[in-house]
Amino acid sequence: MNWFGASIVLVATTWAGWEWSNRLKQRPQQIRQLKTFLQALEAEVTFGLTPIDEACDKLAAQCDPPLSTFISDFSNRLKQGGYQAERAWEEALNELWTRTSLKKSEKEILTQFGQTLGVYGRTEQKKQIMLALTHLEREEAEARDELKRFEKLFRSLGLLTGLLLVLLLI
Amino acid sequence: MEQALNQVSWFDLLPPPIQTVLSEQLMDTSGLEEIRLRVGQPIECVSHESSRLLGGREPKGLYLFNRTDANHLLNQLSRYSVYAYEEEIRQGFLTIAGGHRVGLSGKARIVDGQVQTLQDISSFNIRIAKHVELDTSKLYPYLYNQRWMQTVIVGSPGSGKTTLLRELARMASTGSNSLNISPKRTVIVDERSELAASIDGVPSFDLGRRIDVLDRCPKAEGMMMMIRSMNPDVLVVDEIGRAEDAEALNEATMAGVSVFCSVHGSSFSDVKKRPVMRSLFNDKVFDRILFLSTPRNRRQVSIYDHSQQLGVISI
Repeated sequence: MNWFGASIVLVATTWAGWEWSNRLKQRPQQIRQLKTFLQALEAEVTFGLTPIDEACDKLAAQCDPPLSTFISDFSNRLKQGGYQAERAWEEALNELWTRTSLKKSEKEILTQFGQTLGVYGRTEQKKQIMLALTHLEREEAEARDELKRFEKLFRSLGLLTGLLLVLLLI
Repeated sequence: MEQALNQVSWFDLLPPPIQTVLSEQLMDTSGLEEIRLRVGQPIECVSHESSRLLGGREPKGLYLFNRTDANHLLNQLSRYSVYAYEEEIRQGFLTIAGGHRVGLSGKARIVDGQVQTLQDISSFNIRIAKHVELDTSKLYPYLYNQRWMQTVIVGSPGSGKTTLLRELARMASTGSNSLNISPKRTVIVDERSELAASIDGVPSFDLGRRIDVLDRCPKAEGMMMMIRSMNPDVLVVDEIGRAEDAEALNEATMAGVSVFCSVHGSSFSDVKKRPVMRSLFNDKVFDRILFLSTPRNRRQVSIYDHSQQLGVISI
């Protein structure tokens, strides 16, 4: 019986460790996807002059989930009408945050960007996108750094915590 | 014709509080010409002869249009994308579905001495497009003889120049079996977006099947572009007046294109005061000159050629 319990504890903590390191791994990937989205949006805004809902529909098809779900969620909210673009963006962002490995700092960048969405002329809108991109770049570098430092640590930490618990409990 | 408020296309764009006020207090939309919204002021409804502030007699009861409403309206008009409508905003108006136009005013931002865009937009004027029925069938025998003649429409503002011009464009692109008029390739250069009221480049008025519209392009340049690229039989332009317009017009008639255009003015002498128009008349560029007038609220057209009156008909 003891051995059975111990193995359960071990499996659980190891899995948690893997999960943590996975999140670490996904974060820079998802930031990268966000950046790609913003870059494509910039092209739509400055060259295509495409209205935001149309541009989002187009770009959602080019992205992977969960980002694509977020983009089409946002554009659907806009199409319902009666919304402020800023609020639609924020609500869609909150939805996204339950399904992503991104951190609070990225959310802040995106929330701030959402406030500028659609209220500026072409050059200003472009500047705002560039600003968000620069911020994200910094976050991406940081996320990669973290990944390098902690990926293996988290994985082994899970297993080791499990062992410690088992030893303490036996 | 009376139309329920929630069926007209501009109603959905309005902020919810304004919608409530309008649906409570605006019983009759039939004579409505403009709805004017200004930040800090009550809603003004303008019809043919009267203007009224919605909200009854007590000043307390008036709903005041506020900044949030203004932002909401601009959001809706621009589909949340001011950057996409920058040029329209710079020119001071947006065209919405149904051919209605929304005039804008706010703070102009000047760069290098030119208006770059409008900011802090605080006044909106929703100008409601009405469909005016014109009976133009009696007019065509004067204007068509194997081919369309070079035609200019002269009239004072509000006399129906644009409506008549639009009607002629539709006729040219549709043709008529009974009048023995064959359909022609017709191009509209629509600098003020009034003739075709295009949205995303597609005209929102029914203008027949053989129509091409160049939206919001300066007339003179647009006419030359269209002659080169679209090979039109008939070219339609609104409100000519500048020297380069006349030049382009000459070029078009020389290229064998029939031109329909309009010009501001209440009489022949009035129009001839302008050097540009005088030289056009002296060169006998136009085969037909149509004067629009509205005696006793009836629309009337007097038709002239270079030298004499050919007839008067009411439309």
